[in-house]
Amino acid sequence: MAQPAVVAQLEAALGRDSVLSNPSELTVYEYDGSDEALAGSHRPDVVVLPQTAQQVQQVVKIARAMGMPVTARGGGTGLAGGAIAVQGGILVALTKMDRILEINTRDRYALVEPGLINLDLSQTTSRDGYFFAPDPSSQRACTIGGNVANNSGGPHCLKYGVTVNHILGLEVVLPDGELLWVGGPSPDVPGVDLTGILVGSEGTLGIVTKAMVRLTRSPEATDVLLAAFPSIEAASSAVSAIIAAGVLPTALEMMDALTITAVESAYHAGYPRDAAAVLLIEIDGLLEVVAENTRLISVICEQQEATEVRVASTQEERDLLWLGRKAALGAMGRLAPNYYLQDTVVPRTKLPVTLQRVEEISKDYKLPVANVFHAGDGNLHPLILFDRHKPGDIERVLHAGTEMIHWCIEVGGAVSGEHGIGLEKKDFLPLVFTTEDLAAMAGLKLSFDPLQLFNPEKVFPSGFSCGEVSALRQQALAARLGIDFV
Amino acid sequence: MTTAPSDAGSWPSNLMVDGLAVSKQATPESFDEVSEILRGANARGDAVIPFGGGTQLGLGNIPSAGDIALNLSKLDQVVIYEPDDLTISVQAGCRIDDLNGLLAEHGQMLPFEVARPQDATIGGAYATGISGPRRFGHGSMRDLVIGITAVSPSGEIARAGGMVVKNVSGYDMMRLHYGALGSMGVILQLNFKVLPKPPAQRTVVVRFGELSDAIEAALGVRESQLSPTAIVVLDEGGARAAGVDVAPWTLLLRAEGPEDAAAQQTARLREATRVGALGSDVLGDAATDALWRGANTLLSAAPEESGIGIRLGMPASQASEIAEQLLATTGGGSATRRLSLDFGNGLLFAQVGVDTEPIDELRTLWERVRTLGSHATLLTAPPDVKRDIDVFGAEPAGFGLMRALKQQFDPSGTLNRGRFIGRL
Ligand SMILES: Cc1cc2nc3c(=O)[nH]c(=O)nc-3n(C[C@H](O)[C@H](O)[C@H](O)COP(=O)(O)OP(=O)(O)OC[C@H]3O[C@@H](n4cnc5c(N)ncnc54)[C@H](O)[C@@H]3O)c2cc1C
Repeated sequence: MAQPAVVAQLEAALGRDSVLSNPSELTVYEYDGSDEALAGSHRPDVVVLPQTAQQVQQVVKIARAMGMPVTARGGGTGLAGGAIAVQGGILVALTKMDRILEINTRDRYALVEPGLINLDLSQTTSRDGYFFAPDPSSQRACTIGGNVANNSGGPHCLKYGVTVNHILGLEVVLPDGELLWVGGPSPDVPGVDLTGILVGSEGTLGIVTKAMVRLTRSPEATDVLLAAFPSIEAASSAVSAIIAAGVLPTALEMMDALTITAVESAYHAGYPRDAAAVLLIEIDGLLEVVAENTRLISVICEQQEATEVRVASTQEERDLLWLGRKAALGAMGRLAPNYYLQDTVVPRTKLPVTLQRVEEISKDYKLPVANVFHAGDGNLHPLILFDRHKPGDIERVLHAGTEMIHWCIEVGGAVSGEHGIGLEKKDFLPLVFTTEDLAAMAGLKLSFDPLQLFNPEKVFPSGFSCGEVSALRQQALAARLGIDFV
Repeated sequence: MTTAPSDAGSWPSNLMVDGLAVSKQATPESFDEVSEILRGANARGDAVIPFGGGTQLGLGNIPSAGDIALNLSKLDQVVIYEPDDLTISVQAGCRIDDLNGLLAEHGQMLPFEVARPQDATIGGAYATGISGPRRFGHGSMRDLVIGITAVSPSGEIARAGGMVVKNVSGYDMMRLHYGALGSMGVILQLNFKVLPKPPAQRTVVVRFGELSDAIEAALGVRESQLSPTAIVVLDEGGARAAGVDVAPWTLLLRAEGPEDAAAQQTARLREATRVGALGSDVLGDAATDALWRGANTLLSAAPEESGIGIRLGMPASQASEIAEQLLATTGGGSATRRLSLDFGNGLLFAQVGVDTEPIDELRTLWERVRTLGSHATLLTAPPDVKRDIDVFGAEPAGFGLMRALKQQFDPSGTLNRGRFIGRL
């Protein structure tokens, strides 16, 4: 429970309706999109729903004066526990700040508030022939602020790049309460690339209050291919072959048999039920380029034993194929009460062996695993299916997940491709980064947030103290060079 | 103890930076050597100026000190190249042309444009953060970087990112070093996602008598669904640099893709830019490479004795207004003026030379143009022009944070002392 004095100050700044402090009102803010049994949950002391950047600024100043932690939250769809207020304190929910302030198609940008739902932006700008390229599968519910914080990806990021490639500028409230604009409509603003640093910092360095986002011109032609394969190996070899052939599709997604079953029973998207895996491949651009690349990719799929290659020619057909993909996670409820989603990423040539390994782990732990993922990027999403109420399931899920991460890192991969580190993945970071690596990252944190009030206990591994890094890095350096410091 | 640092070794030549002679030069051959050189310098309070090909040393404020020139050109290895993964990891001293030579053997490329790709190193290009017009179609180094290894002035080597094309594991330390002129750490190694080299490329060259017609055509293409990978308007000096027939204004459009598609797009681009044009040509593959190499000399930040180089940022729709103002300002120097308007990205590059009373005129010119767009950088100028001004323009929003970052990452001011924005 928040101290009444804090609540009173917040109410004075934001108005009563924008401050929640009754335990019953706070419950929905205890979790995010991650599985609470795995990532945990925590009740914030108080939730605020600011409507302006100045109100966010006031909240941060109050928090700072009281030494209270501040955690930003957008749509709460994050899958790594990033928006969970682990130390309580003030949770800043940005959902009321959801306006589109300006659309400038001539200069290809939109100025938006952070609580704007991702899909609402593209739906608005599509009338003029433009879209916001990052399209997480959660785009009906996630916010631009959350996308910025997590540097989110999505199916179309294979061609268009991830969120950082589409953010031109940001207005942020810094941990010291300053309101700041960084970046702008043209690139390479002199000085440190603060925009780039803030994107992907998971709410630990600043709270985004406005974003100037790049708008991308809609292509004149789009094809969507559905290719069905008799085995996972054949499908993943097709992915590697397409990448190696140098025809970069816009999106290249894979779904395995278990996913197809779930999606078909829920949505009837028209995926072949007897396939071991399907690839959903989108190609866009100039008419001539699309025609040529569709042909090339179809040939490659056939060479890799595809049993069927279907080209969706109408908008309705394309939408239906995509609906199945975008709603796949939601359809998992048909298979099991809970799922645990990994987000590892591997070099693309390592996909075939990695998928084999995932299958072995699934067998070893007797836990079904459904695969639905951004294959073109090498970004896996094995969904380990389980029942939270079955004794022993959670432990086995955690072990299986850990084995998958270990494997992916062994073959040259990374802990998370797009969902972020947050709470849930932070203890895996030392698998890829040394103390020196983490100490440099801590340098960023300390430069922005010396009091460490913004989104505490995220990103950095448990027990790693940003405050003590200088000692740690000296030790690491001494060990590497075999020297002593005087 | 590892090998002795070469910082006590030979000092072949004096590096000159803005008129300051740096008496010592160190040319390390391993990361650990760099680490030791820096640690020593840092402890002694020496100021270190890292450099790669030395092609862009004109960028930066006049150093307040320079004791050791840290030559990174021997750290030029390709560390990992996996063509089938479309990723590469290279040491900072690797030259951009060499890198693209290797990639081309596998039908791949890194579409980075700098003024002198035969000499410029990947680390230097990343640290200066100057990008050419082709980023419109393919992205810049900032967009394609996936990992970094950098060393702090006290010698700690830290990595971030990795060798996968999509990665949110930990903070993106790559961002700290992009365009930071090596003032936050010395870049040792960079990882990139590479791109398939398009099978064919063409350049449509359209000549105009009036700037307004050229700009209308450029903006029209930008708003269409055509997809050129670069859209540039050059003045006469720019056209001369690019080696094309000289007209008052020249619009360049680069088309890349499969053979047939490039040809068809070329035809469509010509059709779309007919209004007001004096004439147009189409250049083939090899001529396209040569043309852009020439045009990209306008990106130069090489030390200058008799002129200045300026980069302005602006929303593309304001480019015509800003270009007109710039022309009015530089009217007298038009014989030596070279102008490139990068419409795809909203950048303008100008090189202006002045023959009489050069210093004062150049200073006045910079003062007049630096507030025209949304940001301005004096890419290069004679030291006398640079004195008492900040070549990075006005103090930016967030300067307090930049100072805090410098304090955190280089507390003794060992790296490029006084050269970065706000004389950090
Ligand atoms: C079904 C499903 C599918 C998904 N598919 C994808 C996918 O394809 N690609 C992908 O990348 N992700 C995906 N995700 C993950 C998630 O949707 C994204 O990470 C999304 O960007 C989070 O946005 P949000 O608004 O829900 O943020 P939240 O969950 O509310 O917050 C996420 C993080 O952002 C911070 N944050 C939020 N707003 C701000 C702000 N204004 N300023 C500073 N920090 C802020 C929070 O503190 C937290 O650390 C999926 C999730 C689900 C549930």
